[in-house]
Amino acid sequence: MKPTQAVPSATALPPKPRNLFPVWLATVLAVLWLIVRDLEISFETLAYGVADMGEYFSRYREPDFSNLSRYMELMGVTLATALWGTVFALVVAFFLAPLAARNFTPHPLAYRAAREALNFMRAMPDLLLALIFVAALGLGPLPGALALGVHTAGFLGKFFAESLERVDQGVYEGVAATGANFPQRVMYAGWPSILREALGYVLYILDRNVRMASVLGLVGAGGIGLALHDTLRLFDYGQSAALILVILATILIIDYASAWLRRRLG
Amino acid sequence: MTTVSIWRWPTPNGLPPLPLVASLCAVLGAMWLTAPLVEVDFVRLLGSLGKMAAFAGQLFVEPDWAYLPQLFDKMLETIEMTFLATMIAVVVSLPLGLLAARNATPHVLVYRLTRDLLSLMRALPELVWALVFVSAVGLGPLPGVMALAFVTVGFMGKFFAESIEVVDHRPVEGVAAHGAGWLQVRFFAMLPQALPDFAGTVMYILDHNLRAATILGLVGAGGIGYDLVMSMRLFQYDRLLPIAIAIYLVVTLLDRLSDQLRSRIIHGARK
Amino acid sequence: MSTISIESVTKRFPNGFEALKGINTEIAAGSFTVILGPSGAGKSTLLRLMNGLETPTGGSVSIAGETLGKANLRKVRVHVAMVFQQFNLVERLSVATNVLTGRLAQRSWFGSVFYLFRNEDMDITREALARVGLTDKAWSRADKLSGGQQQRVGIARALAQRPKVILADEPVASLDPVSSEEIMGLLREICDRDGITIVVNLHQVDLAKRFADRIIGMNSGRVVFDGASAELSPQALRTIYQREGIEHDNSLDLALAYA
Repeated sequence: MKPTQAVPSATALPPKPRNLFPVWLATVLAVLWLIVRDLEISFETLAYGVADMGEYFSRYREPDFSNLSRYMELMGVTLATALWGTVFALVVAFFLAPLAARNFTPHPLAYRAAREALNFMRAMPDLLLALIFVAALGLGPLPGALALGVHTAGFLGKFFAESLERVDQGVYEGVAATGANFPQRVMYAGWPSILREALGYVLYILDRNVRMASVLGLVGAGGIGLALHDTLRLFDYGQSAALILVILATILIIDYASAWLRRRLG
Repeated sequence: MTTVSIWRWPTPNGLPPLPLVASLCAVLGAMWLTAPLVEVDFVRLLGSLGKMAAFAGQLFVEPDWAYLPQLFDKMLETIEMTFLATMIAVVVSLPLGLLAARNATPHVLVYRLTRDLLSLMRALPELVWALVFVSAVGLGPLPGVMALAFVTVGFMGKFFAESIEVVDHRPVEGVAAHGAGWLQVRFFAMLPQALPDFAGTVMYILDHNLRAATILGLVGAGGIGYDLVMSMRLFQYDRLLPIAIAIYLVVTLLDRLSDQLRSRIIHGARK
Repeated sequence: MSTISIESVTKRFPNGFEALKGINTEIAAGSFTVILGPSGAGKSTLLRLMNGLETPTGGSVSIAGETLGKANLRKVRVHVAMVFQQFNLVERLSVATNVLTGRLAQRSWFGSVFYLFRNEDMDITREALARVGLTDKAWSRADKLSGGQQQRVGIARALAQRPKVILADEPVASLDPVSSEEIMGLLREICDRDGITIVVNLHQVDLAKRFADRIIGMNSGRVVFDGASAELSPQALRTIYQREGIEHDNSLDLALAYA
């Protein structure tokens, strides 16, 4: 007796379209398993680590704020680095973006060149750039600011160019039809139309640069990151905790401030 | 009457608009004040141009061909870390995203708490967490993956929550009206609608994580970053250039891929 | 004397559509010409060719004896102002700044990228705004104005160029009847008082008949009627608005319904 002998159902549904989701899920899981094997992540270590983690983090329990004034000073340097980097990026992106926007660019070759330049700047990690600039300029925040600037100019330029490409074709023609030249078209049809979006992007990049500037110290590019690195190396958990709290507080303040500004703009 | 000028701005009084001038002054003032902190020194900057050129010149040496297999291994490790961390983050972020979405959260208190937790998680850069995790579980890709996943949850949870908050509420009410339970409403009415946005977010974050993963090695958290720093410190320029090129290629490739996939997912799903 | 001369102009778009199939015409200086025709007849393309917003596939367009080419495009555009159906103002800039964009071609890029203008430019702007009756709106943002007012700003911008020719591409298609009347009256007055050559694309037959000196009728990329507005007979209208392949149908009624 076959239990599966189907009774013809009253309303036979059309055959269900094949759902590939299980296949995808299985593939992803298999790849993840391969990766875990390849990275030699042992779950024992992890479990062991997690058990220890509680104990480990309890060492950060008593932040040692005895050097607070120095930390604030370092944080100040970090913020200044982020500011200079962002302004540098803004200036570079301001000039490159119109060339990299398909509707504004004066020549297809300029478009390609600007796009590739922006891609290149975006692809180079800022810490790698910081390493290179430190080698050339010596230690200090200046190479850090330069590295942030170059890297985020690639991002800002791309964002700006994409916004410029969304400028209404009619507005562009309205200005172009008066006989305005390339810089005039950009300044009258381009930037005013995307001003609000562009300011949002700049704030976002500033936010990001503050985060990055706080780790640039790791490669000798100034700021608070180096101090954190040193205290962790010395297993000075009290000071490390204080440093992390200072960084955290600053970033949260900047985060809220920029969210507030964005809301006001929007 | 002030001096007659032939130039003017397009404003009623011919002077530039005050808010603009004020904000420009504020930014320039801040830059001028912070210039000593950043140690801005244009003479030094110009002087370093020669050094930069010399440095660039040194970069163009014959690559260390014997190093290439190791480079390949390390790049693969970097990509694997990215993928693993992103997937872990997806799994963790989905429930957190639901809790942090105003229209899906069980209680407004849970909503606030989850939001704050997420913003704490994404506040510090991956490298800081990598430093902490390295000193907790030792060197290797594991702390790197943990740091990446940790920060990514902070971002992804927020993005997910935001895409859940903008779903159309009519289908949600429709499903709820048929007596679906709390979880059923969220799974069958909200998540399917937010799915295209989710996919876009994941692509974007994958891209971001790859960039982050390339530098985690700096603090011993696995990936190509370690080799990068060592070749820099030891002046092994015959390795530096291949590493830089490899990073550039992989990052650019994923960048293009994610741009295309994102526009296809978002525009394809909306049409 | 003719300001605009169009010699055997053809235009084929990259998608293969042939918008203009050989146009030959001259437009006299100081005249008011209306180009009439159903949508898709090529009116818009023809007008855009005269400002260099499109380049012809074959033939040539000359303005005041100068043949439009890539090299002299900006030089020619100084004398040929354009008014658009969608006004095409920069919405976030003030009305006065929008009118001042009409002066850009006269100024080097250096001052103008900083939004610096000469006082004489401001005088021209004031005068242009007075002509279109918007002096009190000078410092409002362009997107705060009604459609009819925005189109008047568009005309003021054209006037600020001190042009020889004003081309208006369906200037009243997005406006209500009262504003349409005002805008057409304004253009007519500019033609009469300043002697500026005006070419307008329209699809309203009655406006064309009342305001134009001369009407050019177009259908599927060809000129099918050319004469004084008084000569525009029902028979001529039928030729303009006929559809290919349909000898006699209700398209005349359609055209009049449009009006």
